[in-house]
Formats: sequence, C-alpha cells, structure tokens
Amino acid sequence: MKSIPKLIRRFVGILVVSLFLFTALNIVLLAFQATRYSTSGGTWSAAQKAADGMIMGGDGYILSPDIQEELQEKNIWALYIDNTSLEILWHSANLPAEIPLEYTASDIANLTRGYVQDYPTFTGTGKDGLMVLGYPRESYWKHMYPSWDFQMIANAPRIILITLGANLLLVLLIYIGANMGLLRSVGPIVEGIQKLPLEEHVVLKEKGLLSELAKNINRTSEILQSQKYQILKKDAARANWIAGVSHDIRTPLSMVMGYAGQLEQSPNITETDRRKVSVILSQSRRMKNLINDLNLASKLEYNMQPLCVKPENIVALVRQVAVDFINNDIEGKYPVEWETDENLAVCMVQADRELIKRAVSNLIQNSMNHNENGCTIYISVKKEGADCIISVEDNGAGAAPEQLEKLEKAPHYMMCDTNAGEQRHGLGLLIVKQIADSHGGKAKIGSGQHGGFGVEISLPCI
Amino acid sequence: MSLEYLKKKRILLVDDEPELLKMVRSILEEEGYRQIETAQCVKEAAEKAESFSPELAVLDVMLPDGDGFELMEKLRKMGDYPVLFLTARGEDEDKFTGFGLGADDYIVKPFLPQELLFRIAAILRRTYKEEEPQVRLKCCTIDFSRAEVERGGERIPLTAKEYELLNALYRNAGRIVTIDALCEAAWGDNPYGYENSLMAHIRRIREKIEENPSRPVSLVTVKGLGYKLNVEGK
Repeated sequence: MKSIPKLIRRFVGILVVSLFLFTALNIVLLAFQATRYSTSGGTWSAAQKAADGMIMGGDGYILSPDIQEELQEKNIWALYIDNTSLEILWHSANLPAEIPLEYTASDIANLTRGYVQDYPTFTGTGKDGLMVLGYPRESYWKHMYPSWDFQMIANAPRIILITLGANLLLVLLIYIGANMGLLRSVGPIVEGIQKLPLEEHVVLKEKGLLSELAKNINRTSEILQSQKYQILKKDAARANWIAGVSHDIRTPLSMVMGYAGQLEQSPNITETDRRKVSVILSQSRRMKNLINDLNLASKLEYNMQPLCVKPENIVALVRQVAVDFINNDIEGKYPVEWETDENLAVCMVQADRELIKRAVSNLIQNSMNHNENGCTIYISVKKEGADCIISVEDNGAGAAPEQLEKLEKAPHYMMCDTNAGEQRHGLGLLIVKQIADSHGGKAKIGSGQHGGFGVEISLPCI
Repeated sequence: MSLEYLKKKRILLVDDEPELLKMVRSILEEEGYRQIETAQCVKEAAEKAESFSPELAVLDVMLPDGDGFELMEKLRKMGDYPVLFLTARGEDEDKFTGFGLGADDYIVKPFLPQELLFRIAAILRRTYKEEEPQVRLKCCTIDFSRAEVERGGERIPLTAKEYELLNALYRNAGRIVTIDALCEAAWGDNPYGYENSLMAHIRRIREKIEENPSRPVSLVTVKGLGYKLNVEGK
C-alpha cells in the first residue's frame, strides 16, 4: 500500500496548484473589469472640474462653454447652488423639468450621498457654491451609506487574510474529504490486487464508485482459485496414482521375495541355483526400494507428505540408521565407520524423524548399489556454526566430476517435461534433496575424502 | 539361546490374499512354528480368534470386510496378546494409526522372510520372556527372573539399571543396540548426557559377566555406535 500516500501527495499538490491558478485568474479578471468600468473617481473629479469652471459673469454665474459642451454631450445636467442662500445660481439648459429648483441643507446632504429623482448626482466645491452634476438615470449605482467601522478598516488586511485562509482550508478539507472517500474505495481494490499474485482467495464488496473494478478482481481471483484447485487435484491424482500402483505391486512382490528368500535358505538347492535365487532376491529388493522411493518422491514433489517435525537429536537418529544397516548387513560386505566426534553427543534439529532416517538410509543404500563388490561406508555428524551436517561417504568407485555435475544440475525425470531419456538416475538422491529442502536445509553431492562418493546434508540446528 | 518354547506359540495370520497366507505359513513352519491358523476376513478372524485363542496375531490392514485396525480392537477385547501389522500400505499415517492403537510392530510389504521371522521372534520374546529367563553367555548365565548372574556356582545380583541394560541388549541379542537406545532403556525419555554413566554401567556389567572384562566377548563395544550382546546358541 505504498502507493496511497503517493496518491494523496499528488492530489494535494494538484489542489494547491489549482488554487494558485484560480487566485491569479481572479486577480487578472478583476483588474480587467475594474479598469473597464472604473469611472467613479471620474464622476467626482468631473463635478469638481465643473465647479472650478464656474465663472462670475456680468449677469451672474456661468459655466465655461467647453465644459458645458462636454456635459451636454454626455447628457449630464448641472446645478450650481449658492453656499449661503442655498439658491440656484446657475443650471444647465438640459435640466429635466422634474428637478426641483430649491434645496434645503438636508436635500443637499441627500443628493451628495445619493440621487435626485433617480438621477445619480455628484458634487464639486466651487468658490462660493456647490456644483451638482446629474448623470443620466441608471448610468451609475451609488453606495448611499459608505461608512465602515474604523477597526474593521484598520484590520482589513488581517480580516482578508483570515477569510482567505479559512476559505482555502475549507476547500482543502472538502477536497481531502472527497479524495479520502475515493481512496477508501480504492484501498480494498489495491489490497485485492496485491493478494492476487499470492494466490489468496479475494472477495471484494461490489459496491460504490469502483464496483466494476471490484467485480473484475473477484472474477480473476475465482479463475485463479479454480485453476489452482485444478492443479492441486491433478497433482493429487498423480500422487495417488503412484501410491495406488506401488500399493498393488507390494503384495505380489512380497510373494516373490518371500519364496525367493525361503529358497535361498533351503539346504536342498545347488550352488548355481542359489546364485540365481540370490539375483532374484537382490533385484526384488531393488524393486521394493524403487516403489518406496517413487511413492515418497511423488508425495514430496507434490507437497502431499505431511511433515511431522519435532526436536530430534540427529546424532542418535543417524547412529540408529547406521546400526540398523550393520545389523542387516549379514555378509559384512559394507562395513560402516562411525566418524562422529565422540564429544558431540547431541545435535538438535527440528526434523521429521522418519524422513531424516530415510534420507540417510537412501545415501547408504546408494553407496551399496554402486559398489556391488563391497565398500566401506563412512558416516559422521558434525556441528558447523548453526548447521548440523550429516555426511555419508564411501571409498568405492565414486563419480567423475561431469557425472557429479549432472547429478547436481539435471532435472529428474519426475520433474521434467521433456523426453528425459538420459536423465534416468535413481530416485534415491532426489529424495535426499527433497527431504533436505523440506527441512530448510541443503544436500551437497560430491566426492568425499575417502576416494569414493560422498553426500553432505546440512540442516539448521535449533 | 533356545527359542524352542516360542515355536509353540499360537499364531493367527490374517490377509485377504490366500497365496500370501500360504507363503507366510510356509515361512513360519519352515522356521519351526507349529501352531498356525489363517483367516481371510475380519469375520473369519474373529471366529478363529475365539476358538484358537492366539498368542500373536499378524494382520493385514486392508481386508474385504473392514480394516486391520478395527480387527485389532476386536481381538484386543478377547485377549491380551501382541499384534503385528503386515501391510501393503506404507504411508506414515498408517504407521501412526497402528502404533497409536497399540500395535506391537509394523512390517511394510514386500518383506524378506528373515525380517518377518526376526520381528515375530522379537515380539514373542518380549511378550513371553518370563518363560525363558535363563540366557546363556560364554562364561555365565543371566537369570532375568531373579535379576542374577550365575557364574561357576556363584550368584551375583544385578542392579536395576544393569538389569534394564542387559534386558535391552538381550531383546536384540546378536545385533547392535545404539548408545541412545540403551540410555533410553535405562534412563527414560530425553536420555541426553548419560553417555559416561552408561560406560560405567557397562564396565560393571562386564565385571559380572565376562571372564576378562578388559577383553569382552559377550558384551562387545561397537565403537561410537553402541554395544552388542552375544548369546550362546544363536
């Protein structure tokens, strides 16, 4: 969900930029309008100019003709009221009939602030009278009560700033509120998308702004789930098939091994026959191992082998496997050398007892299979740092470097989709690797110090 | 060591495969077991168990009219004798079900005759050991019923730990028993750190049973791995 803060930052950035742009645009528009209609100063100064233009003539006052002409042109009438007598000393020729010709002091106050018969009027101070200019009706609108609290004017900058700030804050809050709503509906969708590659089942509410998206994600998840289920089913079917086949082979093979075993012990057969029987026996044993290996390998491969891990003393475990082999090696063709340091009595690992035993016996079996004329098998457990290392080596034929590399790198036919003609090495080592993997460890195939083949399994200690 | 008394034990074999029954019977008979009965299904097995009262049952897990675990429970109600499973199902779960219900051992098919015989003998010896308390060694006899060693007319008592250790070795006579298994036999679960005590006990046992304790012939050391008890007559 790292993208959400980024989204918020972006949204707020856009907002701030747009607010700036708005303010700038407003100022420009305002300035434009103001210059276009800014005439209020002009009317008052025109009145003053007219007042100044009053000339004392022979038969009373008169406005200078050029100003008169100018007023005439704009359809403005003019009055000149005497300061002391409040009589009209002069008026323009175009004075409308409804304009009174007498004024009291309060009339003058009114016309200064406002209108005479709806004509907006403006005044200018003459030498001994008051010039009143009357503009055409509906040419100006006048503010009749132009007074403000002094404090307000004094604090105007602050008030303006506060108002502006409050406005901005409000806009910001509305914006964030609206965006949070969007983000809230985006949140589950982002979460859902992030869960998809983890193969988790995603169910989103198909409501709100982004319901369409949610619906599609739900569908995708369903498809993924059903595909996963199909694959699991297929894997399970394959593992079950292998388990079934190996089960069915066990009983007939018991018969073969049982009778062959009896025959081998029988005193009544010739030496040649006994050798034949012993071949039957050893091949049956190979088949038995193969069945066991095939079954376990397929289960490990498809994660169908339940791991039953407990703290186990690997030294004791491996020792038991070694002893079991010695006890069963009746001919003594494969002597076992126990090379574990006597001071290492305990090495605890979280392990599945049966699987670890299986891995070690597979390695011993492997040495036996590849050295039919016998060899010494060297088994040891050691502790290196946080790892417990089980090593099984022999002094037999061993393997060439290229063979070792092939064993290490080439996929086993069980995990290979190409025609694996040359990859048919035994399952024994594959199982060892699988078991090491399932315990969070590693199996290293190589040649040991004793000249033959050697494998090291390292497992993490507790 | 004579195992003759074990050969008289009554053994019940149950498997749905008649050919396999025939083979196992022949293996056992060849070894000298004389009282063997067979059954092919749960029903037949229950009937045979009633009339034959076996002293050991060898059961298959999959039977046509039920499974071996059920059968074992049925048999256990009729008498207390060991049960060994012989099955084509090699999965670990089966092993746990079997042992959980108190099976004495478990052999996965296919098996070698020697393996079967060894396991059967081991179970019988373990279960019916009081009938053969005398174990002959090279230069003495161990009398398990009295926890004594008899050596040239002299009777030497065994301590509890010595008895446990010798017993564990005797049950696997001729085979190596690991240090760990011996420690577990003597000191119970989590037997770590007893290796030195074990060595001391083995030395004392040797003083009782060996002619020359520094050159043991009956209780031999397998370096690093464990010990082996060599019994006469085997």
